[in-house]
Amino acid sequence: MTFEPKIVGILCNWCSYTGADLAGTARVKYPPNVRVIRVMCSGRVDPTFVLKAFADGADGVLVAGCHPGDCHYIEGNYKALRRMRLLHKMLADYGIEPGRFRLEWVSASEGERWGKVVTEITEEVRKLGPAKFRQARKAKAATPAA
Amino acid sequence: MAKLKLGSYWASACGGCDVAILDVHEKILDIDAAADILFWPIALDFKVADVEAMPDGHMDVTLFHGAVRNSENEHLARLLRRKSKVLVAFGSCAHLGGIPSLANLYDKKEIFQYVYHDSPSTVNAEGVEPQPTTRVPEGEITIPRFYDTVMPLDFVVDVDYYVPGCPPTPKQIWNVVTAILAGNLPAKGSVVGASLKTQCDECHLKKNEKKITRIKRIATEQPEHETCYLEQGFLCMGPVTRGGCDTRCQLSGVPCRGCYGPVDGVLDMGAKAISAIASVIEAKQESEIEQIVAQIPDSLRTFNRFAIGASLLRRKTL
Amino acid sequence: MKRISIDPITRLEGHGKIDIFLNEDGGVANCYFQVPELRGFEKFVQGMPVEEVPRVVSRICGV
Repeated sequence: MTFEPKIVGILCNWCSYTGADLAGTARVKYPPNVRVIRVMCSGRVDPTFVLKAFADGADGVLVAGCHPGDCHYIEGNYKALRRMRLLHKMLADYGIEPGRFRLEWVSASEGERWGKVVTEITEEVRKLGPAKFRQARKAKAATPAA
Repeated sequence: MAKLKLGSYWASACGGCDVAILDVHEKILDIDAAADILFWPIALDFKVADVEAMPDGHMDVTLFHGAVRNSENEHLARLLRRKSKVLVAFGSCAHLGGIPSLANLYDKKEIFQYVYHDSPSTVNAEGVEPQPTTRVPEGEITIPRFYDTVMPLDFVVDVDYYVPGCPPTPKQIWNVVTAILAGNLPAKGSVVGASLKTQCDECHLKKNEKKITRIKRIATEQPEHETCYLEQGFLCMGPVTRGGCDTRCQLSGVPCRGCYGPVDGVLDMGAKAISAIASVIEAKQESEIEQIVAQIPDSLRTFNRFAIGASLLRRKTL
Repeated sequence: MKRISIDPITRLEGHGKIDIFLNEDGGVANCYFQVPELRGFEKFVQGMPVEEVPRVVSRICGV
């Protein structure tokens, strides 16, 4: 049985969520592995969300926002870019392969691009296999009684 | 009035919390007047067997410091939980995993390999490693099982209160002790002996506007001591660290490294540190951002120095 | 063989235990001192920026 990655997607309302919608109405074919959460801006994405997604069993996380310069709130995506770059470094310290976490810019008109991004991350995470954090989280329950 | 029965124990600790308790100086006599200390390995001769012989709930309050990183730490955590009415996670290690949880970036095999074989000062021609059980002519002797993962106290038992700090300051320790003696503790699960706000709220350094264009290191540059260190470009965890220590590091001329842990409602201190610092970096071009991020010499061990054990991911993947 | 276990050793910094085995006349046949702790500082400071190390290794011993 092939491994089906569970990928959490956090998409900004104005560009990337609309772009993903367009992929739907345009009947773009792409894998169903990304579970989408809509936020108003990629600048809303607290690194905690990404870490929590991995801690709770996600194999991959995708954050998507407006292209630089196009943010509905002017600067939110720049904050997102800075946060996510720092987060990439921290994830490496935790042993999470870089392919598991992506920040992408998808505009409202880029339905095809959304399909392409989802296909890419799904295949990359499929190759990497299940993320090993379920193991670390279960340790708490498994510690033997003295 | 009956004397309170107190206990204090160290798991994977350094003794600093005990010294901090002793640093209340002459007030230790007030503690002695109001309480009987029934277990305190650094100072008194009571044995684990004495604790095992106590009825359950015998001790009113036990201060547990040190992280849980081997089977003996876990055994004592569970034992002291049974024998204490109130169990306090005392100090960063018990609260969040602390400095020992930096070991969570490695596993037992890697640590043992370096400590017992590869380190330049190790002399171990036979390649001996400590074993949980060793047969000797007279019988069997045992030492604890070393776990791969360091845990804060509340990962193995229910904790009633948390006193943060590495170590908690003697002033705050005295505040907590007086609260205990007066029976004046807040809701269970609370952090006590610390502020509700972050370090910035009590820091004396002048704050202007934060627009960091370059990360600086105290190894190569001297901070100026009147202005906010973060503003100058030195990484400071003050914005995400609970206050209550009277900014002892900042007053000593170095940026905060987060030993008092996060404020309420934070699931991952490292995540918040990244978020805060990213917010004040002044750069919009991707290349500029990459360049500034590259100036940060270490990541997780700087953004989450004291709380890796309690972080969402807890450890590097095994 | 009678055995006396001192656990923990007290009034010192650090963890220790001693197992004393007595022979028939009550004399000490053998005695074992065990160190039941290890934290791994020498491993986990590797790769840290040099200016951060003092504030970490000061936690080897708080006394």
